[in-house]
Amino acid sequence: MIDLTTLTPLINGLSVLLISAGAFFFLAGTVGLLRLPDLHSRLHALTKADNLGLGLVVLGVLPRVPDVLYGIKLLLLWIMVLVAGATGAHLIAKRALRGEGEPR
Amino acid sequence: MPHAISARPPLSLPWRLLLLALLWSVIAGRDPLSWMIGLPTVVGAALMSWRLDRTLADGAGQPLADTSPGAELTLDPDRAAAPRSGSRLSLPGLLRFLPFFVGQSVLGGVDVATRVMRPRVRVAPGLQIFPMRLRDPVAQIAFLNSISLLPGTLSADLHGCVITVHALDSSLDVAAQLRRLEHRVADLFGERLGETPDRDPSPPEEAVTDG
Repeated sequence: MIDLTTLTPLINGLSVLLISAGAFFFLAGTVGLLRLPDLHSRLHALTKADNLGLGLVVLGVLPRVPDVLYGIKLLLLWIMVLVAGATGAHLIAKRALRGEGEPR
Repeated sequence: MPHAISARPPLSLPWRLLLLALLWSVIAGRDPLSWMIGLPTVVGAALMSWRLDRTLADGAGQPLADTSPGAELTLDPDRAAAPRSGSRLSLPGLLRFLPFFVGQSVLGGVDVATRVMRPRVRVAPGLQIFPMRLRDPVAQIAFLNSISLLPGTLSADLHGCVITVHALDSSLDVAAQLRRLEHRVADLFGERLGETPDRDPSPPEEAVTDG
């Protein structure tokens, strides 16, 4: 039988690790936004880094949720951010390719 | 018709209202005051998604295509003839898709992070054309969104069934990777893919290079 008191610091450590990794990918997304040469490449950085970054943060927070509903809520938020991010990126990319909207 | 697809009526308005209300209550919690914002949002979202789905069902050919005057629509004859093709999300397909999706998400994030974090950014962006064989509008949207979340690719435009893909490293051929992804999405929705269009898909005029 595993003692819960030895397990808790382990889970906390894992949480910290996952959330830090998530924060790193958010940072990478922002660095990409600043450093990449054109609009479409920047969209890559935002969609992919945010997907992974938020996923890792959600995973890191999951062991600390007060109840199951809260956990479901976090996962739902992740999925909705994924869908919104990918759809938004596609629409921005399409407008830019077709030369609609503000002149560059 | 090569694709065996079972018909599915679009989800009715009351069901949409119920599901979206459930979604809101999960996200906003139990505070009744949250419905001041939640109620109009839920009703609006239900109406809009219902209308969108009916538009998809009526104009079977062009689910995502732009209808603005400047946009040139290349109608795929096969697609235009296809009725509303309601494939269902298959649970075994979902269970196979999820681990793949999570793995690819990690690769995609790591890929873009390593490209931008090194002293000199290592990218060779460019556009590639991919003729899509998926026919169900929902599966097509899932495919377009998955492309953007996976390593190195971003769905940038859609003309009929031809996707313009922006590749972060255009020296790589993304077609093979996209074909694998297309099979995964087809499996996810229980759709059988038809033959690859034999005509050469001509690239849309705007999609030459990207400054």
